Amino acid sequence: MEMTAIAQSLLNGLAISGIYILIALGLTLVLSIMGIVQISHGEIYMVGAYCVYYLIKSAGFSFIPALIVATLFVGCIGVFLERVFFRPFRGDPDRAMTVSISLILIIQNIVLFLAGGNPKSYSSPFTGVLFIFGIVIAWKRLIIVIVGFGLLVLLFLFIRYTKTGQAMLAISQEREGAALQGINIDFVSAVAMFLGCALAAVAAGFIGSLFSISPTMGSFALMKGIAVIILGGLGSIAGAVIGGLILGLIDGVLPAITSTYTAGLVGFAAIIIILLFRPQGIWGHE
Amino acid sequence: MLEVKGLSKFFGGLEAVSNIDMTVKAGEIFGLIGPNGAGKTTFFNLINGVIRPTRGRVIFEGQDITGKKPHSVAKKGIIRTFQANNIFPDFTVIENVSLSCHLKTGIGIFEASLHTPGSKKKEKDVLERSYEIIKHAGLESFTNTAANSLSHGHKRILGIANALAAEPKLLMLDEPLGGMNAEEVSETINLIRRLLDDGLTILLIEHNMRATMSLCDRIFVINFGKKIAEGNPAEVKENPEVIKAYLGAGQNA
Amino acid sequence: MTYLLTSLFLTVCLIFLPHFMSGPYYVHVFIITMMNIILTSSLRLISLSGQISLAHGGMMTIGAYTSALLVMRLGLSTWYAMLIAGLFVALVACLTGFPFMRLKGIYFSIVTVFFSEMVVLITQQWESLTGGSGGIYNIPAPGAIVVTGLFNIDFLSKIHFYYFALFLMIASLLILYAIEKSRIGFILKGIKQTDSLAESIGINTIGFKVLAYSTGCFFAGIVGAFYSHYISAMCPDTFGFFYTINILVYMTVGGIEVFAGPILGAFVLTILPEITRVLKEFMPFIFAAVLIAVIFFLPEGLAGLFSRLIAFIKKIIRIKNA
Repeated sequence: MEMTAIAQSLLNGLAISGIYILIALGLTLVLSIMGIVQISHGEIYMVGAYCVYYLIKSAGFSFIPALIVATLFVGCIGVFLERVFFRPFRGDPDRAMTVSISLILIIQNIVLFLAGGNPKSYSSPFTGVLFIFGIVIAWKRLIIVIVGFGLLVLLFLFIRYTKTGQAMLAISQEREGAALQGINIDFVSAVAMFLGCALAAVAAGFIGSLFSISPTMGSFALMKGIAVIILGGLGSIAGAVIGGLILGLIDGVLPAITSTYTAGLVGFAAIIIILLFRPQGIWGHE
Repeated sequence: MLEVKGLSKFFGGLEAVSNIDMTVKAGEIFGLIGPNGAGKTTFFNLINGVIRPTRGRVIFEGQDITGKKPHSVAKKGIIRTFQANNIFPDFTVIENVSLSCHLKTGIGIFEASLHTPGSKKKEKDVLERSYEIIKHAGLESFTNTAANSLSHGHKRILGIANALAAEPKLLMLDEPLGGMNAEEVSETINLIRRLLDDGLTILLIEHNMRATMSLCDRIFVINFGKKIAEGNPAEVKENPEVIKAYLGAGQNA
Repeated sequence: MTYLLTSLFLTVCLIFLPHFMSGPYYVHVFIITMMNIILTSSLRLISLSGQISLAHGGMMTIGAYTSALLVMRLGLSTWYAMLIAGLFVALVACLTGFPFMRLKGIYFSIVTVFFSEMVVLITQQWESLTGGSGGIYNIPAPGAIVVTGLFNIDFLSKIHFYYFALFLMIASLLILYAIEKSRIGFILKGIKQTDSLAESIGINTIGFKVLAYSTGCFFAGIVGAFYSHYISAMCPDTFGFFYTINILVYMTVGGIEVFAGPILGAFVLTILPEITRVLKEFMPFIFAAVLIAVIFFLPEGLAGLFSRLIAFIKKIIRIKNA
């Protein structure tokens, strides 16, 4: 393969990585703070895409304000879901998972009812291309890499330098101990859910500008998100980033070399094998 | 009966169990003591196969059982109890023990699902045997009580009964007296004495020093995964290393 | 005894039911319901060991393709093909079960989801065998059963499939019930409660979990095979992620604790959308309401509701008598 073609698919891979990392960060935050695998995370993501779509098409917003409003709105949905559906089942991961599974069907059916099943799309305002050393870089992909990694830095700063962020870190390391030290788990859970859902909405907003959106788009996102956090190590932010990079590059580069199907198969097989031999993930600890 | 040679387990860089040699003779009760975190439970896990040793061999009645799965080790005749999760909480006491008779039922899968006359007879035998074990353990007044609603002490005794149901040759008890009140302690010590009279070999981890000293024929002391002393209770009590280990642990705690 | 009588009564009802149905559509709904009951109950068998499998969709796909291809490529009799498909699926479950069952809880569930996704990808990719994403069509119906003078079941009408599905359902439920009441069911329940203890007293916990997994998947394979011959078409993603999620929801809504739970759940949640077709527009919200109500108020599922109702009625009778 040509150098430029390789560089091209690497960049595509990075853009996909950006999306995967945003999705996986939400899953990982909720898992480490609330102790549940939030299976309806894909549906939250789907709702994010629809919010952006309707803000653009019906409310006449342009892309960036629509993305910001949708992000905040979906974050609030997250807070609502945490309060109503997950808080009553804290410490009961099995039933919390049932709740989460039910939410998939509920959210999906409601969106199907309101929006219909036909795929929809909107275009990215980031048009045009950039030439660097003869490599064609589409702005609409580059912006995902920039935003994705920018948000990652912000999240890192939030966790490192705010009180709430430190509390999140403490809870993720030891739940009971954190509660004893007077950390308000309710508040921190709500923040985690808000951030997680907001990040998913950002990812979805960008995905919608690249591909079409549909009520069933969430399951794909969920699969990839779960694959990423398993690859990296459950409940670890660094793990989500590394897992997202690896899987994004696999999904970005492999289809160019082989077929999309083979790339998908390799991805799933890799996850199963990793789970069997290293259940704690690449980055996780025993 | 049980022979352990150079047994070691590393977790990452940490030596949880380091180069332990030990021999347990048939019919004796052998105590394993040491401060908290000395590696006693890890040692049990290594013997019954919950985790695989990094180095060393475990030999039981002349057979090498190193690294075998817990259920195969159980089949050879080594049964252990745990500090927690010794019971099936949603089952009654009799159900607990009759499930634990699994190894001795001899009921095959097809026999069990087809309800042959032979399997019915075997089921009856199992129930009779279970009842005997419950009586032996002194739980007969709770036969049909849900295990979950037993008192803490009785739960632990049921844990021992579960282990007995699997017909051990070597019984490994992990802190059987933990969290019991004085009455329950003496009940359990009596039970252990009865088991010894029946000819069972016992390997015991226990923090209750008075009980350990009075029960055990020989005692093996470890600290930080290493052996620091071995001998009869009187010898161990006088051993300066042991005194140091326990005083040191006391100061830290 | 009540159980036996109720089951007999329901069976008789189901035998005569098609004669009162106003059209083939309702027969179809009942066939799908009976399929879902088998699937949900077989999923519960696996969950007795404490593991939630999400591989049912993948297993059904394997069963459907195996049976259809055996008939269409090798000219095998449909009856043998369906049985072989079930056994093949059980074998696949057995081989994958040993590595998978080493994982616990959510990890196992995730691996089974990925397994199902891989099945979909492979059936899409392997065009020479499976016909690729387009699927396969004109899968023949089962061969006719003719007993001269008595009956002639040629599977040209939906009613014949109805009785076939009814037979499959009753046979499956009887087998599943027998397994649960046998020593195997007892051991599985023990493993679910404390699997470290079960292992240490000599129970081969992985072996029993795999046994439950293979047996449960066997039924999924049979149902998949039945479906392919009934609908006569099959696509790689017919039984995708959401199909499995639906089965899981039927099981949870019905109640996982008792044998009748999944049956009730599958029945109510398959029939409900059909009888409320007048309210079709609001179906998502009715569905949502049912789910939320069950999650919050009925931790033991619909089956729990029934036993509570019975207890309540008994209490009222007692008060009246007193």
